[in-house]
Amino acid sequence: MPDNDNKVTRRQFLNYTLMGVGGFMAAGMLTPMIRAAIDPVLKVKEDSGFIPVGDIKDLTNEPKRFDFKVTVQDAWHKSEETNTAWIYKDNDKIIAHSPQCKHLGCVVNWAGDPNKPNQYFCPCHNGYYEKDGTNVPNTPPIAPLDRFEVDVKDGTIYLGKIIPVA
Amino acid sequence: MKKGKNIKYVGDSRVPQDIDKNIPTDFSQYAGKTEPFYPSFLLKEWMVGAVFLVALLVLSATHAAPLERIADPNDTAYIPLPDWYFLFLYEFLKFPYASGPYLPIGAFVIPGIAFGALFLAPFLDRGPERRPLKRPIATGMMLLAIASIFYLTWYSVEHHDWEATKNQGKIVDIPGEDAPEIDVNADGYKLLVTYACTSCHGDKLNGGAAGPTLINLGLSSDEVTKIVKEGKGAMPPGLFKGTDEELKTLSDYISSLK
Amino acid sequence: MLKKLYDWIDERLEVTPMWRDIADHEVPEHVNPAHHFSAFVYCFGGLTFFIILIQFLSGMFLTLYYVPDIENAWKSVYYLQNEVAFGKIVRAMHHWGASLALVMMFLHMLRVYFQGAYKKPRELNWIIGVLLFIIMLAFGFTGYLLPWDMKAVMATKVGLQIAEQSPLIGGVLKTLLSGDPTIIGALTLTRFFAIHVFFLPAALIGLLVLHFYMIRKQGISGPL
Repeated sequence: MPDNDNKVTRRQFLNYTLMGVGGFMAAGMLTPMIRAAIDPVLKVKEDSGFIPVGDIKDLTNEPKRFDFKVTVQDAWHKSEETNTAWIYKDNDKIIAHSPQCKHLGCVVNWAGDPNKPNQYFCPCHNGYYEKDGTNVPNTPPIAPLDRFEVDVKDGTIYLGKIIPVA
Repeated sequence: MKKGKNIKYVGDSRVPQDIDKNIPTDFSQYAGKTEPFYPSFLLKEWMVGAVFLVALLVLSATHAAPLERIADPNDTAYIPLPDWYFLFLYEFLKFPYASGPYLPIGAFVIPGIAFGALFLAPFLDRGPERRPLKRPIATGMMLLAIASIFYLTWYSVEHHDWEATKNQGKIVDIPGEDAPEIDVNADGYKLLVTYACTSCHGDKLNGGAAGPTLINLGLSSDEVTKIVKEGKGAMPPGLFKGTDEELKTLSDYISSLK
Repeated sequence: MLKKLYDWIDERLEVTPMWRDIADHEVPEHVNPAHHFSAFVYCFGGLTFFIILIQFLSGMFLTLYYVPDIENAWKSVYYLQNEVAFGKIVRAMHHWGASLALVMMFLHMLRVYFQGAYKKPRELNWIIGVLLFIIMLAFGFTGYLLPWDMKAVMATKVGLQIAEQSPLIGGVLKTLLSGDPTIIGALTLTRFFAIHVFFLPAALIGLLVLHFYMIRKQGISGPL
């Protein structure tokens, strides 16, 4: 062995070159493939915008169920899905709740439990929410119901994205 | 030659004592001139591989894989074409003695003989000689096969109407975009129906069984008139049987389509 | 750290002799391009294998988006081609790779043929090689249909009509390939997909293992 240990031997040098060329080939091959594979993560989902759901005249202080259709573009498949919102008027403000339970995603109903006509009820695990969407303590849900973005134009209610209540 | 533990070497070398003439000399007899597979030889192979990969990536980045319109099995006007490596067979099957009642000869007997001979090459060509010039029959057969494959492929490429192939497969209905609205009450459109233009160019004028799209051609009215009169590609001249006035209306209409 | 892990595995499984066997075998002088430039003819086989690896990889990634169904196959390819970033390139790699694999394999076969390298004792390996040739052509034939565009279906129609003409078993063979005696449709596509993606690769891997095992066993044929 030469006393200088830092010297690169021929074998080491060849090894490094091999690793370099091998790494280059692997990277060249895999870069496009992996980029294509992770595309769904990096793709910016287009906003579907505001969708008209109903007339403002129909609103009361009591949450009311509104069904509306949303066009969903699922890759090459386009479909219409029915979505639901519970909407009520709180003085001048309009509040629209998404019916998805914050516990495990079942669908909640206003006054779904005849014994509690002033709460949202989730039948899956007996979750309750107040009228303003706050989850009732000591029931399974751990967060208030999500709300839709609401816009009113010419007496028509438009709903936008679903936004979680902080 | 004896193998395994029975092998006898000349002296202390690695040259076997009795060499079977049928078996090529073993490279282990050339000790000292060899090199280990890893890392010395592998590196050379990887260099070639890397250059090759770069070429493939450049090709892939600049030339997209072709995609024609979605399959319509009822489209009888479409002229099918195999991938290029089957072109020679496609051309071969056009020969009179390889088609019609003789198709089994072209499709099975001859390829069967060719592949059969390829399979059995080691048993047909049994002599000890390995140099191509010393076994003229084997070499000659292969050269003949290569020459005919090349010739047939070339002939097929040369005598094919690539323009028509390109047009017949064009994607006309782009997903997510509706086909352009056509005013079916326009005088020009009515003339197109009357003189059966739509039977080739499609009811929506966006191309069909035998003709390309008529929408957004970027041609002036006069240029359209010229094509209608003189024909183009697969369209023969003189198909339009109407009056000059009608031709003018029709040409104006087509050149106005966006 | 890595060294320790390696030693731990090596102690139990003795992996060192396995890779040393591959790494240390001597490569003869006459195939070394550093000694003779003409030795480049020996690289075609290796390149074919390299492209097959690329085909395996790109094919795996393509199936992330592809559906073998007559309604959706074309749409999914169109989506991959136009909506997925780099999808076009991955598909192009698979497409051009297929052509290049056939070219390289053909050159490799010509090298072996003209050098008479198939002679005793390598006859069996030559036969495996011809089988690999046929499998690669089958890959080309079945893969051509999968995008379900005009040329795919029309060319397959012709191919199946040729199969139908084959003596004795013609009709059965065609039905077996297309899944229906008259229609080229849903069942044809699923069959071709299964053959292209499962059956042929399995056969290819098996034969390649044999091919390489025999090369290691018998060595590269000597110089001319």
